[in-house]
Amino acid sequence: MEYLLELTGLTAGYAGKPIIHDVSFRLEKGTITTFVGGNGAGKSTLMRAIYGSCDHLGGGIIFDGGQIEDKTPWERYELGIGFVPQGRCNFPDMTVSENLKMGCYTLPRNEHRDRIDAMLESFPMLSRKIKEKAGNLSGGEQQVLETAMVLLSEPSLLLLDEPSLGLAPKTQGEVFDFVKRIAADGVTVLVVEQNVHGALLISDKAIVLEMGRKFLEGTAEEVRNNPNIRHAYLGGNLSEEEVSE
Amino acid sequence: MDYIYFLQLTANGLVIGLIYALIAVGLALLFGVLGIVNFAHGELLLIGAYAMALALPAFGLAYMPGAIVAVLTAIIAGWFIYEIFLSKLGHGEFERSILITMGLSIVILNGIQYIFTATPLLVNTEFGYAGVNIGDIRVAWTRIAAAVLSAVTFAALYVLLNYTQIGRAMRAVSQNRDAALMVGMQPRKIGRNAVILAASLCGLAGAAVAPVQLVQPYLGQFLVFKAFAIIIIGGMGSIEGAVFAAIALGIIESWIGGFFPVVWQEAAGFLIMITVLLLKPSGLFSRGGVRVG
Ligand SMILES: Nc1ncnc2c1ncn2[C@@H]1O[C@H](COP(=O)(O)OP(=O)(O)OP(=O)(O)O)[C@@H](O)[C@H]1O
Ligand SMILES: [Mg+2]
Repeated sequence: MEYLLELTGLTAGYAGKPIIHDVSFRLEKGTITTFVGGNGAGKSTLMRAIYGSCDHLGGGIIFDGGQIEDKTPWERYELGIGFVPQGRCNFPDMTVSENLKMGCYTLPRNEHRDRIDAMLESFPMLSRKIKEKAGNLSGGEQQVLETAMVLLSEPSLLLLDEPSLGLAPKTQGEVFDFVKRIAADGVTVLVVEQNVHGALLISDKAIVLEMGRKFLEGTAEEVRNNPNIRHAYLGGNLSEEEVSE
Repeated sequence: MDYIYFLQLTANGLVIGLIYALIAVGLALLFGVLGIVNFAHGELLLIGAYAMALALPAFGLAYMPGAIVAVLTAIIAGWFIYEIFLSKLGHGEFERSILITMGLSIVILNGIQYIFTATPLLVNTEFGYAGVNIGDIRVAWTRIAAAVLSAVTFAALYVLLNYTQIGRAMRAVSQNRDAALMVGMQPRKIGRNAVILAASLCGLAGAAVAPVQLVQPYLGQFLVFKAFAIIIIGGMGSIEGAVFAAIALGIIESWIGGFFPVVWQEAAGFLIMITVLLLKPSGLFSRGGVRVG
C-alpha cells in the first residue's frame, strides 16, 4: 500500500504550548479521511500542523516519502499540499478574477490562463461573479472561491477545514459530491465537517480526536457504527430513519 | 482677496501635498504588509534628501541623475533596515516595531547630524531659481519637477499594485495573511518587496523635497508625523485615500501659511487629524483598518 502522508507522534500547538499530542496515522493515496471531534478538539490545529502554519513541537510528518516537519507552509504548498482553512480565507477587496490570479501565484505565468479557465468551467458560479469583489460574495460562494484558489496549484493532498460551514443544506450535498469527484481524480482528501454523518458517508476512513489526542481510528463504516461515536458526534446529525436503523 | 496669490498658494501646496503623499503611501503600505509602524520612515526620506544634495554637484547639478541616486540610496538603506531589523519581527509586533524603528530613526538622524552638522543645506539644481508662468502664477522648475515625478510615480504605483503579481501580492498580504499562506506566498519576501518599494518612494520624496525646502537633519521627523496624520485622515488607508488626504493637507497648509500667522501652518494637519480621530475613532490602528489598494 502506498501512503501519501504519515504522521509519527506529532505534537503541535501555538506559542510553544501543545494542543495536538502525539498523533500518528497514515493516509493512502486517493482516499478521503474525516477528522471527527467536538469543538476545540484540535481538528483545525492538526490541519495547520500538517500545513506548517502552527508550531511544530515534536514528532514527524512524512509526505510523499520525504520528511516535511521542518518545512515552511510555502515549501509544503510547492510539494503539493493544499489547505483551505476554516472560515473566510480570501482577499476580500480583490475581485474573484484577482483572487484566482493569486491562486496561481507560484505557477509559471504562461499557465495561469488555462488553469483559471479550467477552474471556471468546474465552478460556473465563479465565472458569473468574476468581476465582483470576493468580500461581496455569499459565504458559500466564498468557500467555493477559496477551494478553487487552492485547487489551481493541483495539490496531491487537500486539507478542507469545514468546507460546508455556512452553506445551505442543499449546497452541502454539492460539497460532498465535489470532494468525491476530486478524490476520484487521485487527490487525497482530509476533511473536517460539521456534518459528520454526511462526511463519513463519503469517507474511506475516519480519525476521532479528543482533547488533541487521537481517540479512535478506523474505516468510516466502523466509526459510524461505533456506539460511543454515534452517541457523541452523530446524534444531532442523524435523520429519523438513520436513528431507527 | 487677491486671487493670484491664492492660486500661487494652491500650486505650492499641491506640490508639497504630492511629496507628503509619497511618504504616506509608503507608510500605509508597510503597515498593511508587515503590520508594523515604521517610525524610521522619515529617515529614509532624509537619506534620500542628503543623497540628492550630495549627488547633484557630482552630476553638474543635473536633476534626474541626482534623483536616481537618492532613490537607490534610500532603497539600499531600506533593504538593510529590513534584513537586519524588521525581518526579525513577527507580524503585527507593534511594541517592538515602534521601539526598534524609533530607535533607528534617532540613530540615523543623529548620525547624519554628526556627519553633516545641523546647518541647513541649500540645494541648488540645474534649474536654479528659474520657473515658468502659468497664467498669472509663477512656479519654479524644481517644484514642477517634484510634481511631475510624483504624479508619474503614482501612476506607476497604481499599475504595479493592480496589474502585476508582485504588486497584487502586497495587497494580498495586507488583506489576509492566512489567505496569502494558503496560496503559497512567502510573506517575508513580499514584506521585503514592500520595504524596497516604500523606501524608493521615500528616496524620491527626499529628492523632490531637497531643492524645495532646506535640507537639515530634522526634515524627516517633520514630514513623517504629517504622514501619520495623513493616513489617519485618509481613513481606511487606501492608496487613493492617502493621496487625496496628502494633497488636501498640502494645499490647506499652504493657504493657512499664506493667510494666517505661519505658526498655524504646522498645527493644521494635526488639528485635522485630532478632529478626524474624535469623529471617527476607527483610525489607523483598528484591526484590518489599513488595507492597501
Ligand atoms: N491561534 C491560536 N492560538 C492559541 N490557541 C489556539 C489558537 N487556535 C486555536 N487554539 C486553541 O486550540 C484548541 C483547539 O482548537 P482548534 O481550532 O484546533 O479546534 P477544532 O477542533 O478545530 O474546533 P472547532 O470545531 O471549533 O473548529 C482550542 O483550545 C483553541 O482555543
Ligand atoms: Mg476548527
